[in-house]
Amino acid sequence: MSTAITVPDDLWEGDSEGVITAWLVNDGAEVAQGDLVAEVMVEKAQYEIEAPAAGVLTIAKQEDEVVEKGETIASLES
Amino acid sequence: MTKPLTTDEAGWVLQRPTVEAGLALDESLLESICQGESRFGLVAWSSTDRALVMPRRHERVTGFPEARRILHDMGWPILFRATGGTPVPQSPAVINVALALRCQVGSSAAHLEWGYRRLGEPWCEWLAELGITDADLGSVPGAYCDGRFNVRIAGRKLVGTAQRWRRVRGSRDMAMLAHGAMQVGDTPESLVDVVNAYQAAVDDPQRFQAGSHVALGQALPGLDLEAVLRGLLERLTD
Repeated sequence: MSTAITVPDDLWEGDSEGVITAWLVNDGAEVAQGDLVAEVMVEKAQYEIEAPAAGVLTIAKQEDEVVEKGETIASLES
Repeated sequence: MTKPLTTDEAGWVLQRPTVEAGLALDESLLESICQGESRFGLVAWSSTDRALVMPRRHERVTGFPEARRILHDMGWPILFRATGGTPVPQSPAVINVALALRCQVGSSAAHLEWGYRRLGEPWCEWLAELGITDADLGSVPGAYCDGRFNVRIAGRKLVGTAQRWRRVRGSRDMAMLAHGAMQVGDTPESLVDVVNAYQAAVDDPQRFQAGSHVALGQALPGLDLEAVLRGLLERLTD
């Protein structure tokens, strides 16, 4: 089963874009639900993103890539 | 390590840690919310030493190791912070105020703009109380670490603001830390020069303008800041 990791779509108002500032887990690593996996920065705010489920991480957006709210940045295969 | 103050503690104290210990105070404040120990906290600090502070992602910038050496030799070691933005100088001329609180996901209080207004609007009200009637929130072209929610005086940047969000343990709620760094002493040139030295060292052509910044000491000469700071902290607590 695949679970998407997304940027929360209600984190900010308007059309500002964010950027992935850090992946805290390597591509292909196994993570547990609730593990901190990435940081996104928007409007000078660092937002920590957790794994919504357990599984093997596949990164879709690399560090320094621009992201929009609601966008999928990785997936977890379990 | 010095502990952050909470609203449960009597009195407000401007703490005087090193920059590194001050950043740890912010982290400790956020963590106290994440651990469910409290729903609100506040800390005010001004460092005894100085450093150029930036998010860790700057470590990936080409030329960073050399820039770090140059800034260190200038007496401005580089440290990393947990909030977003770009390089900001910390020194005894800067007062930092951070508030942390627990936000319910899905509520109107769970987005970034709300967090910035929760910090910035009481700050403007406090400045008005001190007689500065043209304080507001907004961006400042030419300022370092610019954002949409600086506290401005007549369009010049007085307070830079940033945030960090983290999940509360065992809950869907989020913990928000909103941080404001206010230049109170020295001249804007003295701090802008440090950031511009970093820009030059990493070969970034962008330069910042001292005229885009203002220190509180310029706007209110002779102000006994420690005497009036309590008013700001009380407004932020309301």
